[in-house]
Amino acid sequence: MAHARISAKLPPDIDPTKAPIAFGARALPKLNEELQSPELLTRQRALMALCDLVHDPENVYQAIKLGFLDNLKYLLLDQDSTVREKTTEVLYIMATHNVGRDGFIENGVIPALSQLLNDPVDISLNALALSVQVSFLSLPAGAVGIVESSLISSLVLKLKTELDEIQELILDTLSGCLCVEAFEALATGAVPILKEKLTHPSVAIRSKAARALLGISIPLEGKNIVWDEEVIPVLVSLLEDSDPEVRANAAGALMNATTTTQGKYAALSADAIPPLLKLVDDETSKVRLNAIKALTMLSEAPEGRKTLLNHVDLFRGQLNDSSEAVSRAAKIAIKVIEWKP
Amino acid sequence: MPTPAFTCPQPAPFPPAYPCPPYSLPHSSPRPHRTLSLPEEPVRYANLMYDRRVVRGNTYALHALPWVGSPDPLEIQRQREAHRKALARKRAKEQLQSRTPEPVEGRKHVDVQTELYLEELGDRIIEVDVECQTDAFLDRPPTPLFIPAKTGRDVATQIEEGELFDFDIEVKPMLEVLIGKIIEQALLEVMEEEELANLRAHQYAYEELRNAELAEVQRLEEQERRHREEKERRKNQQSQLLQKQKETSEKIAARAFAQHYLADLIPSVFSSLRESGYFYDPVERGLYYFFFFTGMQTDACSFSLSESDTTSRRLIFFFGGSGSVVPASECCSFKTSERNAPHLVPLRFWKALQILKP
Repeated sequence: MAHARISAKLPPDIDPTKAPIAFGARALPKLNEELQSPELLTRQRALMALCDLVHDPENVYQAIKLGFLDNLKYLLLDQDSTVREKTTEVLYIMATHNVGRDGFIENGVIPALSQLLNDPVDISLNALALSVQVSFLSLPAGAVGIVESSLISSLVLKLKTELDEIQELILDTLSGCLCVEAFEALATGAVPILKEKLTHPSVAIRSKAARALLGISIPLEGKNIVWDEEVIPVLVSLLEDSDPEVRANAAGALMNATTTTQGKYAALSADAIPPLLKLVDDETSKVRLNAIKALTMLSEAPEGRKTLLNHVDLFRGQLNDSSEAVSRAAKIAIKVIEWKP
Repeated sequence: MPTPAFTCPQPAPFPPAYPCPPYSLPHSSPRPHRTLSLPEEPVRYANLMYDRRVVRGNTYALHALPWVGSPDPLEIQRQREAHRKALARKRAKEQLQSRTPEPVEGRKHVDVQTELYLEELGDRIIEVDVECQTDAFLDRPPTPLFIPAKTGRDVATQIEEGELFDFDIEVKPMLEVLIGKIIEQALLEVMEEEELANLRAHQYAYEELRNAELAEVQRLEEQERRHREEKERRKNQQSQLLQKQKETSEKIAARAFAQHYLADLIPSVFSSLRESGYFYDPVERGLYYFFFFTGMQTDACSFSLSESDTTSRRLIFFFGGSGSVVPASECCSFKTSERNAPHLVPLRFWKALQILKP
């Protein structure tokens, strides 16, 4: 068959691993056909070319309209690992655009991802990066999609065994989904696993685990389980961590966990108030906000209120804080502390 | 006439090559005696130019209408003679013509002596064939260099530095376009990442606020719940207290009322019973029975009133010799038939009863 290439030696600046892209509007349909070709090399080259094209959101929209996602879903289960890797990369780039994310949710790409989690490192990294994007950036629809594909149980189970980077991604995905629905994660026993991760040497994992705990302790069952598993003392010890992210997330998790009375008393017995008071003056606004909120929770209990009455001035200092949320929280805290029954 | 000895055939190719192939001449050649009009064919329309019926030539020198009028006898004679001469000429020519075929093209007939005794031809010209030929392979001297004579004027031109174009100025637009495109591409890539980072930061800030607000909501909920429960408990407590109080006061009131009510009861009961004659004097009754029923009875009679009158049961005691009060288990038995007729109790018996009344 005649080729468009004139000589056997390619021009010097062309990447031979990419399929040549047709002109104008014919580019994407031709790539679509090439993706379905039975020949491995054609598919790989088409995927590499697609990786480049997909950076442009208009191309993403057009691709989805042409029905690329069905082919890509099929290719996710291909035998060759390069093909799978490239496919997840393409999907990852597509997920950075909102038309891509919407297309995913409509076409049900996420269940197909669940099969990839058992693959070697690169592919599962990509798949997870993809899932992070989906869950985090397109709340709540993406998170709902992940929950519905029952990815959470497999993700939680994987937390125990995988490498650090993958763990980070898993934790990110989980914290995205937990904001929407936490029951499945609780059912799979995520809390003990997260408790272990709180003492991990890596800073990122600690902070992400704390964030996941924050999410898990939003519903009531979560709070109860967190109290049951005695995570609160560990969180209190994290309040003195060096990384502000970790501190912020730990304070936030405490804030959610101490909503119940038993949580409050657990925190008080773990001596949470002094470190939290120190955090009220922290540089990061998130830390301040969460610390003030946690202290507000604790001051609902009479013992807490007694202790905090001595420190009301600290809160007054925060009333004129730069962040509006912090000043509001400080106002509420003062009101609660000075409340008389 | 002596003919040459041999024919010198001119070399001719075989088969003979005609310059043009032989063809019969077209019908238009002027041969008056050949225009035969066959009786079967119609008369052909011949070319006007070659039609013999057309008069040609000078019209003023022609015989004016030669066939019109009788011909002149002189004229006729002259014609006859001319005709005879022509015939004679023709006869002579025919005689001279040999009967041998014409020579083939390219050849020439030559007379040759074929008699027994050859005759010397004395008037024959001696012919000698001589050839000459230039030497084919003689070295040809080289052609001398042909330098045409110089004509015209000499003109020179030279492009100086900077006259054709100025590189720096010309390259500017191209360079601008190239670099612009490169930077645009780079910017796009950076912007993409920046956009993502912005989105994430935005999301992060939002999440922060959301968590804080959510915690606040939950705290308020919790507070509300606690307060509500506390209120409920206190209300319950209070209502229980009230209930108890009410009960107590009711009990007290009831008790007081009952006391008050009952305080009057006993005297009134007694008085009414007494008035209705339910009480009898045991002494009297004993005496009555003693006197009424038997005279030979022992002095220990047992009387008892009917069980229906419980309050007065205490008051009935055994009328015995000692006159002491004894418990009701040994009380007098009173026949029911007597009940209906208390007025029949004798007065003395009744009086005895009254004495023994507490």
